[in-house]
Amino acid sequence: MSFSQNREPITIEDGFKLIDAAVTKLTRIIEGKPEPPFLPEEYIGNYTIVYNMCIQKPPHDSSGPLYEKYGAILQAYDKLTILPSIMEKHDEYMLREVSRWWEINKIMVRWLSHFFYYLDRYYIARNGIPSLTVVGMTCFRDHVYEKVHFNVKQVVIALIHKEREGQQIDRALLKNVLDLFVQNGMGNMERYEKDFEDFFLTETNSYYSRKASSWIQEDSCPEYMIKAEESLKKEKERVSHYLHSDTEPKLVANVQTNLLVLVAKQLLEKENSGCSALLRDDKTDDLSRMYRLYHAIPEGLEPVAVAFRLHVTAEGNSLIKQAEDAATSGIVEEQVLVRKIIDLHDKYMAYVTDCFQNHTLFHKSLKEAFEIFCNKKVAGSSSAEMLATFCDNLFKKAANDKSNDDSTIESTIDNVVKLLDYISDKDLFAEFYRKKLARRLLFGKFSDDHERSILTKLKGQFGGQFTSKMEGMVTDMQLGKDQQTGFEEYLKNANTGKPKGIDFTVTVLTTGFWPSYKTSDLNLPLEMVNCIESFKAHYEIKTNHRRLMWIYSLGNCNLTARFDAKPIELIVSTYQAAVLCAFNHTERLTYQELIDQLNLSHEDLVRVLHSLSCAKYKFLKKEPASKTISKTDSFEFNSKFTDKMRRIKVPLPPVDDRKKVVEDVDKDRRYAIDASLVRIMKSRKVLPHQQLVSECVEQLSRMFKPDIKMIKKRIEDLITRDYLERDTENPNTFKYVA
Amino acid sequence: MHKLSRTNRDKLQQYVSITGASEKSALQALKASDWQIEAAFDVFYSQPQPKSNDPYSDMILAEGVSVLCSDLQVEPQDIVTLVLSWHMNAATACEFSREEFVGGLQALGVDSIGKLQEKLAFMRSELKDEQKFYDIYSFAFGWAKEKGQKSLALDTAIGMWQLLFAEKEWPLVNHWCDFLQDRHNKAISKDTWAQLLEFARTVNPMLSNYDAEGAWPYLIDEFVEYLYDKSVVDK
Repeated sequence: MSFSQNREPITIEDGFKLIDAAVTKLTRIIEGKPEPPFLPEEYIGNYTIVYNMCIQKPPHDSSGPLYEKYGAILQAYDKLTILPSIMEKHDEYMLREVSRWWEINKIMVRWLSHFFYYLDRYYIARNGIPSLTVVGMTCFRDHVYEKVHFNVKQVVIALIHKEREGQQIDRALLKNVLDLFVQNGMGNMERYEKDFEDFFLTETNSYYSRKASSWIQEDSCPEYMIKAEESLKKEKERVSHYLHSDTEPKLVANVQTNLLVLVAKQLLEKENSGCSALLRDDKTDDLSRMYRLYHAIPEGLEPVAVAFRLHVTAEGNSLIKQAEDAATSGIVEEQVLVRKIIDLHDKYMAYVTDCFQNHTLFHKSLKEAFEIFCNKKVAGSSSAEMLATFCDNLFKKAANDKSNDDSTIESTIDNVVKLLDYISDKDLFAEFYRKKLARRLLFGKFSDDHERSILTKLKGQFGGQFTSKMEGMVTDMQLGKDQQTGFEEYLKNANTGKPKGIDFTVTVLTTGFWPSYKTSDLNLPLEMVNCIESFKAHYEIKTNHRRLMWIYSLGNCNLTARFDAKPIELIVSTYQAAVLCAFNHTERLTYQELIDQLNLSHEDLVRVLHSLSCAKYKFLKKEPASKTISKTDSFEFNSKFTDKMRRIKVPLPPVDDRKKVVEDVDKDRRYAIDASLVRIMKSRKVLPHQQLVSECVEQLSRMFKPDIKMIKKRIEDLITRDYLERDTENPNTFKYVA
Repeated sequence: MHKLSRTNRDKLQQYVSITGASEKSALQALKASDWQIEAAFDVFYSQPQPKSNDPYSDMILAEGVSVLCSDLQVEPQDIVTLVLSWHMNAATACEFSREEFVGGLQALGVDSIGKLQEKLAFMRSELKDEQKFYDIYSFAFGWAKEKGQKSLALDTAIGMWQLLFAEKEWPLVNHWCDFLQDRHNKAISKDTWAQLLEFARTVNPMLSNYDAEGAWPYLIDEFVEYLYDKSVVDK
């Protein structure tokens, strides 16, 4: 297009008139009134007026006034048209008006901006003043939005409340209206947040607070949780339908706080339906829901984990109490108890892995709970001892009953290892286990596979040092078999010292691996002496520098006793055999004679004689025939004895010394503490008391929980022995003495 | 014979009673050192003693000590003997070697028994000095125990404590001694001895500032328990 440069300049008056006309037409169109649309010429014409007025030479260049005019047009429109229309409506109708006029305004601003576009290009750019669009939006904001937003917000919130109560509302309308709030922030979310969101959240807060109060009274825990889950779901949907996405985290946190966090204690502790009850009754769905709901809240799982721990502890404690009550005359049924504890563990571990998604917090709670009751004593037996006895019985039975399924044994072993982890006196367990293992191995009641299997698993969990002695013991037994073959070869080949028709087996134990046993100076019957001598000779050929210590208290013998009625094979201990063989040469012996002849201790002899003359099988006749052995008694071979069995086993009850085991372990602990203290001080050189104690406790915690008093005593002992000294400036600190 | 002045005659007496030497050699020694008694001792002890193989001949033993005490006009159990021994850095109670004795007298700046007697008041006052009391207390352990033993016998320890805490008041001393006789009945280690002074110095009799988590020896912790048990102090 070409324009004549010599035209008459358009005056402001004229120009404005033309513009007003165009504006009137525009408003009619956009308000939906019957009006023919702008023709392209008209459209261009409007633009041109502005253009010309801008490029006119001064004093007719009217950019400034045009800019003002633009603003004035919009302002008038806002104030005179838009605002009154909105103000005369209420409630939802008002919202509709607002929405409608907002759209209209947008179009208005757009069209006008096109008309006045030339201003944008030069005048506005050159002067750094707000653009036409910005002016338009600002105008609306100042003259409409500011006046109506409060009421709008009230209506919106009322509608949301309606929806929460179950009624249908016009979501699209709300979306538009809330979008308006956002847009009127003009670049930031302040208007949305201050004029709407804050109020909305406050309202939400009281809404859910009320709901929580009433639900918590009426509903059971599962019912409540379902409602809570529903509510969260609905609120999230609400966001996607009409709220701004920024609101979501705040809204969710709000609901969670009211529905789940503030009532957590009441909810979880609900009688008959709370956490405890759900755990007891296997309500996995409800527990999973509980996890889901609380997992979404930061630190929300803590109360659930606490409830879990308390419940498990209570269950464990009641098992302990049951066992305590059932223990008659101080004997605990540890088989039953340990099984029950294992089952308890399986049950609650299943919850942790399934419902609680293997979360570390729950693993920790489970561990803490078990650590509490697994360290309680039952009728004087420590848990360490009970577990060792349990293993003993398990393996003894398994060795006898070959039909037992290996995989159940293996899984029980796994469970034992898990339980041991919770017991703090692991070294005590090791000691009891070792003593019982010794008896199992020596009396033939073991299966090599099972014994090795548990030792491997214990080694894996607790380290080689824990199992080294026991492994040594099992190896000794294997070597023993080879050794015995060697010995029998020797006997065949040797000319002298062959024991006359006595089958003789020797098991050589490595001192240090095995528990310490007392030797005795028992005077063996001659036949047995020969056996001993021949083995000694053989062994000395095989090895150098090794001393054999004979432990007769552990041996056993098969004797054939020629009773009048019929001969019966007796399976007895060596001590018992020695006593019986004494009667080979004499019909009658007094207690004193027996003591002199055999050189046993009184304690031992009384036990042996009791088992042979006062117990179930009376191989010896005792005079007087009282129930106990006294030093004035005399004994005679009971040739009249008979029994339907051809073979009788006479067990000598073992002297199980729980006190001694505890003493031994205490002694070892003292050395362990000493070693640990010296080790720590050697590397740290200087250390305050508190830290020394806590490091020592930590180092030793794998094996046992050291008593603080004992540690203090050991420290003092080390001071006396000049390993440590107190710092002269600060007696609370210790120094290593090189 | 020369006529001896009274002072010199005293000196002679002392010399003889302490060293067990004859009057003649005493006179010789004193004359040689111009009647300075410490120098005289020096001379005496530096002479070779051909007769005796007795290892104790170079020492003042129990008898000599009691003579010394009576010369000084103090009871043998008087705490000032401890202070004196401390000045001499004596290794064991009731025994002074030559070096210890002479060294002690030098340290005190005296050369006669009379002057030593005058110093007694000063020595007693030293116990009131905080630092010196600490040193004397620490010294007392090694001095009072049997030679070759690491610990101090309980009775001796109790006796020493009674003596020492008569000088520097500690309200709990009697309870402490009762406790030991009641519950402990064993010898006292060096650490316990040293720490007890610390305890008496820093912890108030109501035990309000006693730190149970502190590094107090086991025996002292037990003592605190004892005090609670016997309701001497409220927890």
